[in-house]
Amino acid sequence: MLLYILRRLIVMIPVTILISVIGFIIIQAPPGDFVSSYIAGLEAQGDIIEPELIDSLRARYGLGEPIYVQYWKWVSSFIEGDLGYSMIYREPVVDIIAQRLPSSFTISLLSLILVYVIGIPIGILSATKQYSLADYSFTVVGFLGVATPNFLLALVGLWLLFKWTGNVAIGLYSPEMQNAPFGLAKFLDLVGHIWLPALIVGTAGTAELIRTMRANLLDELPKQYVTVARARGVKPTKLLYKYPLRIAINPVISTVGWLLPVLVEGEVLVSLVLGLPTIAPVLLDSLLQQDMFLATSIIMILGILTLVGTLLSDILLAIVDPRIRGAV
Amino acid sequence: MTGIQRGGTAMDDLAPPAAGMNGALLSVRNLQTHFFSREGVVKAVDGVSFDIKPGEILGIAGESGCGKSVTSQSILRILPKNGKIVGGEILFQNEDRTVDLATEDADGRVLRDIRGKEIAMIFQEPMTAFSPVHSIGDQIIETIRIHQEVSKEEAHDQAVEMLRRVGMPNPARNIDEYTFNLSGGMRQRAMVALSLSCRPKLLIADEPTTAVDVTIQAQMLELLRDIQADLGMAIIMITHDLGVIAELTDRVMIMYLGKEVEHGTVEDVFHRPQHPYTRGLLASIPKMEPGRVEIEPIEGVVPNPYAMPTGCKFHTRCPDFIAGVCEKHDPPLTQVAKGHEVSCFLYGGRERLE
Repeated sequence: MLLYILRRLIVMIPVTILISVIGFIIIQAPPGDFVSSYIAGLEAQGDIIEPELIDSLRARYGLGEPIYVQYWKWVSSFIEGDLGYSMIYREPVVDIIAQRLPSSFTISLLSLILVYVIGIPIGILSATKQYSLADYSFTVVGFLGVATPNFLLALVGLWLLFKWTGNVAIGLYSPEMQNAPFGLAKFLDLVGHIWLPALIVGTAGTAELIRTMRANLLDELPKQYVTVARARGVKPTKLLYKYPLRIAINPVISTVGWLLPVLVEGEVLVSLVLGLPTIAPVLLDSLLQQDMFLATSIIMILGILTLVGTLLSDILLAIVDPRIRGAV
Repeated sequence: MTGIQRGGTAMDDLAPPAAGMNGALLSVRNLQTHFFSREGVVKAVDGVSFDIKPGEILGIAGESGCGKSVTSQSILRILPKNGKIVGGEILFQNEDRTVDLATEDADGRVLRDIRGKEIAMIFQEPMTAFSPVHSIGDQIIETIRIHQEVSKEEAHDQAVEMLRRVGMPNPARNIDEYTFNLSGGMRQRAMVALSLSCRPKLLIADEPTTAVDVTIQAQMLELLRDIQADLGMAIIMITHDLGVIAELTDRVMIMYLGKEVEHGTVEDVFHRPQHPYTRGLLASIPKMEPGRVEIEPIEGVVPNPYAMPTGCKFHTRCPDFIAGVCEKHDPPLTQVAKGHEVSCFLYGGRERLE
């Protein structure tokens, strides 16, 4: 097992390097170097830039030097935590991400918990009571959930909330709480606002999970080992939970790690519609305005989180499924 | 082990036979199990009766779809959802009282206590008989702890002992292994150990030799014979392989389309087959004799289960078909010798038709 984890870690190294190369290519992709476009951008707004600043920027990122030197300078400063400077926000990239990460994380985590807490039991119910009224109802709801884009739900949610309460639930805090120091009052304000985005972000995931759980369990229930367990005198409840459910839930466990990047990224469109201070709108902005350090940093972080998440999933799967352990 | 004697005598000492069961451990009477689906009703088992005494080995043979497996699933009440017992009795001599398994709640206390403890089953596919994500020991110990009040350690020791008894090479280590680690033969042995872990009085073996190659098949039969001599349980051997029946069983029942067509001792049925279907089955076995002997297959095909023939179900394929009788009436069981019964109009029953 340890050897397995070690081997997976070693495999991650070349993949990480590959991701960084792709990230670097993205930075290099726009015509001209980024300092020139930065200056052009500033000058367009009527700012005057001191030549010293320009020179220091050029020196720092090795512009004018061979491409591999530029790559190396960028990678080494990235590792040291210097993610570069955002031209549109005029702030270090690290600061922007640090501001937005907590709310991204809170919303995504909350919606994930909702997805599992709602999706798994309903999936089990749908499978064990196949073709019952409940199963049909959840199937309809499930398909609607999968088919409805979350941003549309966000719009509908906003409208309904406004109709019923007269509130406009945009953002995570009420306007008067926006700049208040974090305390009980602000926390309660957050609780009052966060449920809507969490629910909306989680809808498609919940619907998908219901379908997955139902299908997996329906595959397992008629298997012979279940009949054999029944023929041994195992109780009906244990017959469901100990055997088929344990196997049916494996694909769910094996994809948990993949959600790691999702936790950070969240839903771009829902965040835009609801005006949420998450990372997703920043990523969109940076791509639209060619703010390459910001965009690449976020993409790099997402890429590395994907790798770590996949590793986590594989380890989890090896823990729950001896067949995987046997094969590694 | 000294306390276990072979078969009948040990059981007779334990409990007096219930009235009407003639000392039988299990008495199936006029069992009817039907499957209901959108296309119609399949009468998978349609009036089957047989007895099995403690320590006896009974064979049930027939082609695929004749209802032999459904019979065994009916006994343990582990039928698929759309299968229902619609008639008949399954009387089981449980300790000192007789239980009708056909009318008990399928997942109720009584049946759960009998399953695995009094009546156990061996299945066709040893690969899929165990959960792939639990060790074989986990499942054997679970079975022991469902039916006996013993500690985990004690159950573990019992499981190791049973694995040793079925010939696992390294029981103390094998107990923690998963089915995908084991060879086909080892899986079979593990499955036998699982079903015998609570020393049942009746073992139902449903095609245990069908999915394995011939060398393992021979090992399996030898194992069953040894274990039976050792533990003295009764066995119902369900198979389409008449060789297995001849090898292992005392008595045999031949089934065709949910009906019993002939039953008797292996000696009687194999050497003096009466029913045209039994004769056809025996003639269609390839023989290992010098010179070419033609195999004679039974003419025709098994009828569509949704459109069963009237009268004797075999009349559509029977070489001795009696026009005006066989397609109109159900042949009754007729005794042709002591303990040898046939359901065929060739041997009587026509006089009772009026």
